Amino acid sequence: MGSARESPTDKGGETGESDETTSAPVVPGTSDTDAVPEEPDGDGDADLKEAVAEEGELKSQDVSDLTAGEKEDSLLAPAAKKLKIDTKEKKEKKQKVDEDEIQKMQILVSSFSEEQLNRYEMYRRSAFPKAAIKRLIQSITGTSVSQNVVIAMSGISKVFVGEVVEEALDVCEKWGETPPLQPKHMREAVRRLKSKGQIPNSKHKKITFF
Amino acid sequence: MADEEEDPTFEEENEEVGGGAEGGQGKRKRLFSKELRCMMYGFGDDQNPYTESVDILEDLVIEFITEMTHKAMSIGRQGRVQVEDIVFLIRKDPRKFARVKDLLTMNEELKRARKAFDEANYGS
Repeated sequence: MGSARESPTDKGGETGESDETTSAPVVPGTSDTDAVPEEPDGDGDADLKEAVAEEGELKSQDVSDLTAGEKEDSLLAPAAKKLKIDTKEKKEKKQKVDEDEIQKMQILVSSFSEEQLNRYEMYRRSAFPKAAIKRLIQSITGTSVSQNVVIAMSGISKVFVGEVVEEALDVCEKWGETPPLQPKHMREAVRRLKSKGQIPNSKHKKITFF
Repeated sequence: MADEEEDPTFEEENEEVGGGAEGGQGKRKRLFSKELRCMMYGFGDDQNPYTESVDILEDLVIEFITEMTHKAMSIGRQGRVQVEDIVFLIRKDPRKFARVKDLLTMNEELKRARKAFDEANYGS
């Protein structure tokens, strides 16, 4: 497997599972993207920490843009003003919670061992290739689909893979075996998720009353 | 014998490319093998996952996408897949819902940032 990094061909590292656009991103290595542009090998650590920090900056920048419209407050009626203050407070509180979370993530990531760092990097960077997903969806619909749809679909698929793999790891551990995962673990995981309703299946007609 | 050793690997290659009598999606070329391997490692599996497991996952993902696409085509605007339909289908699953919301929000932010950057460049 070695250095199998995903660099998006059409997008330069942005959201959307594999999460992007043709021009180079303004904020390099924005965290929480599913496909980040390939970085030179030596940078692993610093890169991840930077990515976690930049996510914080981006979010705080966004909120400051939103609070720029404060001057118009005095012109609003009292009721509307109260509503605006409420939402503003909630946004500030949410921002603070975000900041806390980002700091905690930074502390956590800085204390990772090398193997954990590798795994975390793969977790963040792995993504489905946008072109293949787009081709697949278009072959099913017969019409073209927008970029956002591809982004959303890739994102959901990655979460789906995560759910199956996590469940399979649970099964593996429960059966007293070790990774790598075997097909029997995967199948049992799928069976469990099906009964929880996480796996969509429109082939079987459900009978409500019998 | 050299012959015996060659045959199994030859057969394996054949199966992967799609010559085998395998059921399901055995005929199609593997679309996501590399990416899925990285993903499985990221989510907790071994660094070298089994090929059969990767295959099973790929089939699952393709089936998932197919189901979602069909469902999305049947709601909202018929025959088309739109983001709102996907968000609607996902509404009950908290993880996926939150993820889609995050991605779309960040996509918008990045687009805005990029646009502002380009305009700044253009002006100066």
